[in-house]
Amino acid sequence: MRDSTNAISIANLTKYYGRTQALDNISFDVKRGDFLAFLGPNGAGKTTTINVITGLSNYQSGTVRVFGYDVTKDYRNARRLIGVCTQDFNFDPFLTIFQLLIYQAGYFGIHSEEAKHRAMELLKRFQLWEKADARYRALSGGMKKRLLLCRALIHDPEILILDEPTAGCDLELKFLIWDHLSRLNKEGKTIFLTTHYMEEAEKLTRTIGIINHGQMMCLGPKEEVLRNKSLEDVFMEITGIE
Amino acid sequence: MLKLITNPIGLATLAKREIVRFLVVSVQTIFPPWISSLMFMYIFGIALGARVAFPIEGMSYLQFIIPGLMTMHLISSSYENTAASLFIGRWHNNIQEVLLSPLSYFEMVLGLLAGGIARGILICTGVFCISQIFFRQGISHPLVLVYFTLMISVIFSCIGLLAALWAEDFGMVNLWNVYVIFPAVLLGGVFHPLAMLPRPLQILSHFNPIHYLMSGMRYAVIGYSDQNLFLCAGLALVMACAFGFITVYLFKKGYKLRS
Repeated sequence: MRDSTNAISIANLTKYYGRTQALDNISFDVKRGDFLAFLGPNGAGKTTTINVITGLSNYQSGTVRVFGYDVTKDYRNARRLIGVCTQDFNFDPFLTIFQLLIYQAGYFGIHSEEAKHRAMELLKRFQLWEKADARYRALSGGMKKRLLLCRALIHDPEILILDEPTAGCDLELKFLIWDHLSRLNKEGKTIFLTTHYMEEAEKLTRTIGIINHGQMMCLGPKEEVLRNKSLEDVFMEITGIE
Repeated sequence: MLKLITNPIGLATLAKREIVRFLVVSVQTIFPPWISSLMFMYIFGIALGARVAFPIEGMSYLQFIIPGLMTMHLISSSYENTAASLFIGRWHNNIQEVLLSPLSYFEMVLGLLAGGIARGILICTGVFCISQIFFRQGISHPLVLVYFTLMISVIFSCIGLLAALWAEDFGMVNLWNVYVIFPAVLLGGVFHPLAMLPRPLQILSHFNPIHYLMSGMRYAVIGYSDQNLFLCAGLALVMACAFGFITVYLFKKGYKLRS
């Protein structure tokens, strides 16, 4: 049954890689339309959480729902609602970037004509249209980042999950991506963002969650989490990093 | 069946991608087996065939090896296509494009199989057309041929996917083909009828499933078989269902696909 309040609901999620516990009984909800910064040091469990939500990781116990759809039992409905911008450039190396978006739209059940229209629109919006016939390897790092966003958005998902989308970007590209993310959130998309840039999280998001050693350390509205401190101070206090 | 396919556009898209992938590199994927078949037919069928004391009356040696070559290339093309496609997808991590989509696991497997089946059938048809240069003959049982072509391509496309899931590097992808499938294909009767083998090898051939698949194909093309047709057809169906089931199960479990 579709849940119209919570975009993501995670309850008692536990995940092991062999004997190493990556997620320790974490529970939290992300409200529809929210912009969440999901922060934590390297190896804290951010990408694992994303992989569980998107179906790229199995887990040992707990439940994960996307708009009420269980990501394991009702994975088709859950995945239809998610757009993922991964950390890696995991594109098909044999396709042009235009073909890449057309195929991606097709997997989501979008007709060819509509797919072409959407791909053109997105490539123009992210200033990649002139590279439409190029293969992704011919693109610069910044262009590849934008292409990841285009691919995540091609099926017009309700939730956008971004795993460090601005890592390694120059200032100009960072601002461009920030601008797009703010606009998408205003249009009603729920955004789940992981980043190591505190400034990015502080500037863009409304809710802050911090994970450390696989445990949720805090989650709440930005103002409540910060309490007149900088995010960097709060982050260092919670994670114990000096 | 209708319930199993809930995303027909997604399935068609994946199938199209798999078919286009081997068509655009036809120099590597389509022409080599056709050229090697032409050589086999000329050397074994024409140059050496006339000197072989062939034990089946009313049939030339060339006529006998044509369905064997069709089956051999059907098997290798189906296997190579799915094995290469899935392993490259795992290697570049772009298999995630499919794994993140709302395709069911059954649809994912079916879409990936489409490339192997299409390539296998294309190669097999081409080998038959080439054979017409040397020996003009029709297909004895066309419907039986459709059945066996489809079953064999499904079986070996599934085995290709399983090999790609199991493999950790490019060398491992081809291990099964080199050490298991190709020897079993040759011993299965590409170039010889059962009667030409010494008794112990004849007995051993009864335990080689590829021998039954080969016999079914041979019956379909030239009307001759070493084995009971129903046994061959039944075994082909059981193998196709079993390998299909195992492949979908491993996709569902995320074996080497999900962390």
